[in-house]
Amino acid sequence: MNWKCQIESIGVKLPSKILTTNELLEKLKIPCIRKFGLLTGIFERKVCSPDEDSFSLAVDAAKDCLSFSKYRAEELDMIINCSITKYKNGLSHLYEPTFSALIKNSVGATKAITFDISNACAGMLTGVYLAEKFIRQGIIKTCLVVSGEYISNICDHALKNIRTSLSAELSSLTVGDCGAAAIIERTADEKNGLIISGFTTLSRYSNLCTGRQNRRTPGGKMKTKSKKIHEAAISESVPIIKQALDLNQLSFHDIDWLIPHQTSRSSIISGANHYLEYFGEKPGQIAVTLKDTGNTASTTHFLALYKYLNEKRFNEDDKVMLLCFASGLIIGVIIFKMNKIVHMYGNSN
Amino acid sequence: MGTVIDMVSIAQPLFSLFPGNSIRLSVRAARQCLHDAGADHSNIGLLINTGIYRYRNTGEPAIAALIQGKITSHKPVLKVNGNSGNTFSFDLNNGGCGLLTAIEIIHRSISNGEISSGMVVTGDSEPFYDFSERFSFAAAAAAIILSGTSDSGGFSLFRTYSYPEYSDELVSRTSFSSRGPSRKGMNILNIGQKESYPDLCVDCAEKSLFRFLDETGQNPDDIDLIIPSQSPRGFANRLNNRLGRNNNFIELPETGNKVLHTAGSAFALKKVWDDHRLKKSRNIIFLTIGSGINVSITLYRN
Repeated sequence: MNWKCQIESIGVKLPSKILTTNELLEKLKIPCIRKFGLLTGIFERKVCSPDEDSFSLAVDAAKDCLSFSKYRAEELDMIINCSITKYKNGLSHLYEPTFSALIKNSVGATKAITFDISNACAGMLTGVYLAEKFIRQGIIKTCLVVSGEYISNICDHALKNIRTSLSAELSSLTVGDCGAAAIIERTADEKNGLIISGFTTLSRYSNLCTGRQNRRTPGGKMKTKSKKIHEAAISESVPIIKQALDLNQLSFHDIDWLIPHQTSRSSIISGANHYLEYFGEKPGQIAVTLKDTGNTASTTHFLALYKYLNEKRFNEDDKVMLLCFASGLIIGVIIFKMNKIVHMYGNSN
Repeated sequence: MGTVIDMVSIAQPLFSLFPGNSIRLSVRAARQCLHDAGADHSNIGLLINTGIYRYRNTGEPAIAALIQGKITSHKPVLKVNGNSGNTFSFDLNNGGCGLLTAIEIIHRSISNGEISSGMVVTGDSEPFYDFSERFSFAAAAAAIILSGTSDSGGFSLFRTYSYPEYSDELVSRTSFSSRGPSRKGMNILNIGQKESYPDLCVDCAEKSLFRFLDETGQNPDDIDLIIPSQSPRGFANRLNNRLGRNNNFIELPETGNKVLHTAGSAFALKKVWDDHRLKKSRNIIFLTIGSGINVSITLYRN
């Protein structure tokens, strides 16, 4: 039997420390950027304090997720960690053992199979893509997909190197830290399962955004050809979205909420305009959650879902499309109908 | 529907003086694998990289995307039809067990009918030459092409056993340190392996193997071949002595002071592929071990 799966619960951990865009720009060696907040829609981001890191954010998000879930940690069958940054104990990057194995120990998921994946900002949606494979075949019933991103440290490198508004490190100023987790569960409800479609790596664009650890300073750095990667993502995603909609006899108009990867407000708006031009219609609403948190890398989709769930923006019957863009270039679509999860959240955080 | 091995290829640095570049080695292994299999890259629906120690500690994009970029002729993807014709790539990290986890994911994707074939690539090298402490892993890469088969052969049973009480036996991390010639500081990769780790690996592997045989109803005498991980140093030899399998246990000779890490079991597979022992054997066990301690075991049938 082929089982369907659904999102059972979501958890998030945001650091409490705030770094405003103005504070960030004041640190630039050469004051070459103006109206950055207006263009990106990012006015502040949450950043880790000295006692926080990728691992603590991931563990706290997993615990938050479990607090909303009907499952106990020991009932989880699988844990997939999807962080790009694997900082534990400050800016010390952990390679072995895996984050997922340590998260398993921290939350007490005694029977869970664990592994880590890394797929840039598409990490968590790739985690859902993999969870669905195992659930569909009946191998597992529940999977915790989790990620912790302590990525704001790339700002330090960027601040020292940005000399003009065309700098390849400009996008490093958009990022913020966050942990997010989601429990994916098996469901017998054939109509409301997750529809996962079109996950593709367009590798000819793989050099447009690269990130790596610094050699001689703590933390990492990222270089992005923002305009090129944005243009490629928008144009290449059209046939992939169309296929996802066609396969499920849906039109773009049937989608109540489009949640794209949160990069910058201007990119999201120009993408939406491109889709309107191509499809001749647009989804009900497009989520933009950048203002207070910035681009939180692999966690953006679940942070947006969590935020809107708490703001009671979703209805039980709303159709949501999660659209991922990530360096690689990775494009993927997940469509699902909101379910009873909308009643679990609200004004609690 | 089963999943069978179409081809396996390996790559090592051409000149031992140079430390090796994990991405270049992985690309070389992947290209060789496609060439030897007579396969086209466009048939690869899923490409998973399971190497851990990567050139210059690249974090994004996924190394798998970079490998895909180097083995692909970049035909424009404008017509999307299911996932056919498109490749999806990502990195997977599960220590020494990553290779089998990736094989299981490709097996599930083939069984679901999403793809017809997939590739696992794994490669390790010192991220920055001489920027590490106790880095004892050989620069090496391997690639395996897998495809679906209508008969019952191929990979069938996958199990992973965890021993979280030993999670601090092998810890590798980069930390900023003010050492080095300039004393200005640098990110140093440190491999912290306790002395007891190899023995514990042997204990965990032996225990897991018998649990696997018991759970899956296999008779130990029916196992023709065991293809194990080759790290930590001395693991394969000690486990072989413990199990008493002799020639049916693929143990590669140790060379120098470096040991094969994530590619170790693929190198062992290559050995039995080349001497045709894989094809001649009926029941083959793949046994991988990694930090955690995790043990992954699968059965492959001809």
